[in-house]
Amino acid sequence: MSYAILLGGLLFGLPIAVSILAALLWFMATGEPPYNIRIVATEMFKGLNSFPLLAIPLFILAGELMNASGITHRIIAFAKILVGRFPAGLAHVNIWASVIFAGLSGSAVADTSAIGRVFIPEMEKNGYDRAFAAALTAASSVIGPIIPPSIPVIIYALIVSGVSVPVLFLAGVVPGLLLALFLSAYVALRVKVKETSAGSKQDGTSTRDALLGGVLPLLMPVFVVGSMLLGVVTPTEAASFAVAYALILGLFVYRKIKPSMLPRLFAHAMRDSAVILAIIAAVAAANWLLTYNRVPNMLTDWVIGNVDSKTMFLLAVIVLFLFVGLFFEGIAAMLVLVPILHPIAVSMGVDPVHFGILVIFNLMIGLITPPLGLCLFVAEGVANVGMSRIVRQIMPFFFVEVLVLLILTFVPATVTWLPHALGF
Amino acid sequence: QTIRFAHVDPADWQNSKKGAAAEIFKNIVEGETDLTVELFPAGALGNEDELVAQAQDGITQVVMVSGAMSKVCPAASVLDIPYTFPSAPVAWKVLDGDFGAALAEHCLEKTGLRTLAYGETGFRNFTNGVREIRTPADMKGLKFRVQPIPLYIEMVKGLGGEPTPIAWTELPNALTTGVVDGQENPVGVIYNNGLHKLQKYMTLDGHVYGADFLLISDEFFQSLSPAEQEVVQKAAIVAGNMGRSIQQFSTALGVNAVQAEGMQVYSPTAEELAQFRNAAQPAVKEWLAGELGDDAGWIDQLDKAVAAATE
Amino acid sequence: MTRISRLYERILAFGAGLMMFLVFAIIFVNSMRRYTTGRSLEWGEELPIYLMIYGVMFGIGLAYLNDRHIRFALVTDILPEAWTQKLFAATDIVTMVTGAALAWSGILFAMRRPHIDASGLIGSARALADSTGLAWLEWIGHVGTWQSAIAIGGVLLALAALIRFLTRLQEIRAGVQDQAA
Ligand code: NA
Ligand code: NA
Repeated sequence: MSYAILLGGLLFGLPIAVSILAALLWFMATGEPPYNIRIVATEMFKGLNSFPLLAIPLFILAGELMNASGITHRIIAFAKILVGRFPAGLAHVNIWASVIFAGLSGSAVADTSAIGRVFIPEMEKNGYDRAFAAALTAASSVIGPIIPPSIPVIIYALIVSGVSVPVLFLAGVVPGLLLALFLSAYVALRVKVKETSAGSKQDGTSTRDALLGGVLPLLMPVFVVGSMLLGVVTPTEAASFAVAYALILGLFVYRKIKPSMLPRLFAHAMRDSAVILAIIAAVAAANWLLTYNRVPNMLTDWVIGNVDSKTMFLLAVIVLFLFVGLFFEGIAAMLVLVPILHPIAVSMGVDPVHFGILVIFNLMIGLITPPLGLCLFVAEGVANVGMSRIVRQIMPFFFVEVLVLLILTFVPATVTWLPHALGF
Repeated sequence: QTIRFAHVDPADWQNSKKGAAAEIFKNIVEGETDLTVELFPAGALGNEDELVAQAQDGITQVVMVSGAMSKVCPAASVLDIPYTFPSAPVAWKVLDGDFGAALAEHCLEKTGLRTLAYGETGFRNFTNGVREIRTPADMKGLKFRVQPIPLYIEMVKGLGGEPTPIAWTELPNALTTGVVDGQENPVGVIYNNGLHKLQKYMTLDGHVYGADFLLISDEFFQSLSPAEQEVVQKAAIVAGNMGRSIQQFSTALGVNAVQAEGMQVYSPTAEELAQFRNAAQPAVKEWLAGELGDDAGWIDQLDKAVAAATE
Repeated sequence: MTRISRLYERILAFGAGLMMFLVFAIIFVNSMRRYTTGRSLEWGEELPIYLMIYGVMFGIGLAYLNDRHIRFALVTDILPEAWTQKLFAATDIVTMVTGAALAWSGILFAMRRPHIDASGLIGSARALADSTGLAWLEWIGHVGTWQSAIAIGGVLLALAALIRFLTRLQEIRAGVQDQAA
C-alpha cells in the first residue's frame, strides 16, 4: 500500500516531498510496533537539524538578491564581450553567461529562468528556432551546480563524511568549464544561424561599462570560495558573506534593490529553500526506515559480490544515475543512493572527490531529460513552444553532456587536478 | 528475536572502542543464544540523544552512548565532575562496584533503560598553542574551545581560562586562525583528527573521565528468557571491558604518536593535579548541586566511593 | 476565497521571510563577532538551525500555495484541461490529509520528552527568564518548543492545501458557468 501511495502520488502530480511523506506516514501509522507514526516527525526534524544545511537557504537568498539587482543583464553584457563576435555568437553568449552565472548561483533552475527570460526571445529575434534557444538555455544551465557555489555539493558533503565542501567546490571548476567548452564546440560545428541584428551592440552599453559591470559579480565566487579554502570561514558563514555582498551590491552599488523589496525577497528565498529542504527531510525519514531494515547493507553486499572492477562499477553507476535521473529529482536521488554507493566506491579505490563530482554531474544531466527534468520545465515555462519540440532539440546536447561525463570518469585528473595543484 | 545495537563510533574493532564492544557483544550473544544482533555503527540510526530516545521507545534495543545519558538521567552527570577519578582503574572499580550498581538502578527507574555495563571514552586533556601548562596558573588568559555544555564552561572558568563554545566542525579553523588558543579532548580524538598538528602543547591532566553506558531497553530485556538475559548481561560486561581496553590501547598509542610528531606532552605531578582539582571542583560542584536539586546527594556518594576505591 | 488565499499567503510569507532574515542576521553577526572579537554567542549555532526549521515549515505551505513544489508533470501534461483541474483538486485533498497526518505525527513527537534542554540554548534562556521575570521564556531552552515545528508545518500545509482546493472548486464552477453562458 505504501508503494502504491508513493508511485501513485508521484505519477499523478503530487509534490515529491508530499508523496514520500504520505507513503511513510501510512506505513508508520498502520505498522506493528516499534513502527509508530511519531517516527516520521522525529526523523524529519533530525534530517533538518544540521548547521551545514543552513548554507542552502543562504546561498539561495544570495542568488535571489543577485537576480533582483539586475545582474543577469550585466552578466550577459560581459559574456557578449567575450564570445559575442563569433558566428552564432548569441548561442555562445548563452553558454558562457551560464558559466558566469554559475559562480553566483548554486542552482541550475535559477540559471534557466534568469537567462532564459532574456535569451529565448532575443535569440528568436535573431533567427534561431525558439525551441532550440530553450533547449540550449536548459542544457547550459546544468553548468550552474557544477561550478561553485553549488547546492548539490553542499548536500553531498553532508551525506558523506570526510569530503569537504571547499575541495569539492574546487574539483567542480574544470568539469564545469569543460562542459561549457564542449557545448560551445558543438554550437561552432553544427549551428549555422546568420544573426539578423547585431545583438551585441544594440543595448548601448560601452565595453568598459560592461566589463566593470561583470567584474563585481564575478568577484563574489572568488571571494566566497577563496575564504573557504583559506580556512577562514565555514561554508555556512561564507554563504552569509555572499548574502551580505549581494545586499551591498543591490542596495548601494547597482541600486536596483529597494529596502521595501527585501521582505518579499527573503520570503521567496525561504520558500524556494523549503522546496529542497522538504525533500531532504522526507528522504531523511525514508532513509531511516531503509537503514533500520538494513537495505543499504544488503545492496552493498550484492554490488560487491557482483561487480568486480572499478571500471565496471563506475559505468554501472553512470547508467544507474542516468536512469534514475529520468524520473527523480537530483537531490532526492542523491540522498537515497549516495549513502549506499559511496562506501562501495571507496572500497573499490575510487577517489571520493572524483566520485562526488561524477555523481553530481551525472544527476545534473537529469535536469534536462524527460519526463522529470526541472530545467526543461522551466525552459518550457519561458519558451512556451511545447515540451516535445524542446526535447527534440535537447537530444544532441544530452549526448554532448554524456560524452563529457565519460571523459570525467576515465580521466580522473580532470576532476582531481585542481584541488591537488592547490595543495588539497 | 532481533537485537538492534546502535552507537555513533566507527565499526572497526581494532581502533574504535564502541565498534569493538558491539562486535564482541554480537559474537557472544549470537553464539550462545538464538537471538540475532544487528549492528548500526557510525550514527547510522542517529546521534546519541536520538539513540537514547529510540531505546526508550523500544525502537532500538541496545545502544552504547556517553554524554547523552546524563540528559535523561541527570544524576549520571556527577561522573563528569573534573578531577574526580585519579586513574582509570579507580574509575573501573567505582563503576563496577556498588556505586555503579546504585547509579544504574536509579537511572533505570528514571528512564526505563537498564545499564548493562560501563565502557569508557577516556580521560580528556587540555592542548594549546601558546605555552606549556603545568598548573592552573599557566591557563590564565588562554581561550579554550569547549562544547556548549555549562559544566565545561564552569570548569574552564574555575581554572582561570576563557571558555569559548565553538562547534566541533569549526574547531580546526578556530585553532588555525587563533580564534581560540586551545581545546580539550581525549587523546584518541586529538590524534585521529590531527589536532596535534595544530597545537604544540598537551597536558595529561585528565580533567574529565568519560564513561560509556551500554544500555538496553528494560521492556525488551524483561521479554527475554532468564537464560537469554544471563548471556546478554555477560556479553555486555565483556563488551564494556573490551571497549575500555581498546580505548586504553589507542590512548597509549596516541600519546606516543603525538610526541613523535613534535607535540610536547606534560604529565602533571600529584601535587600539581591537586592544584587543578582545588581550582576547578568547587565551582563545578556548586553549580551542579544547584542543577541536580534532589539528586545532589550523588555528588557526595561518588566522592565516598572514589575515596574507598583509592585506599 | 481569493481574499482568504491572499491573506494566508501573506502570513506564510511573513513567517518564512522573518525566519530567513533571522537566520542570515544571526549567522552573519556571529561570524563577524568571532573573527573580530574572538568570541561567539553560545546560542549562535543551535538557534539558527531551529529558526530555519520553522522557516521551512512556513515555506512548505507558501510553496504549495504558489505551486512551486517539485512534481512530475507527466500525466498532467497529457490529460485534457478539464481533467487536470479535477486531478489537481484530488492532489489538494491528498496533500490536506498528509498535512493533517504529519501534524499528528508532529504532535506526538513534540510531546515526547519536551522538557529536555537544548544544550546551546538553555543557559541563555534561563538568564533571559531570570532577568525579565518571565518564567515561560525558559521554554526557549527546551527542545519541545522547537520540535513543535513539524506539527505546525503539518497544519500550515493542510491549510494551504484546503485553500487551494476551495479556490480550485470555485474556478471549476466558474468555468462550468462560462461554458453554460
Ligand atoms: Na554554481
Ligand atoms: Na530528469
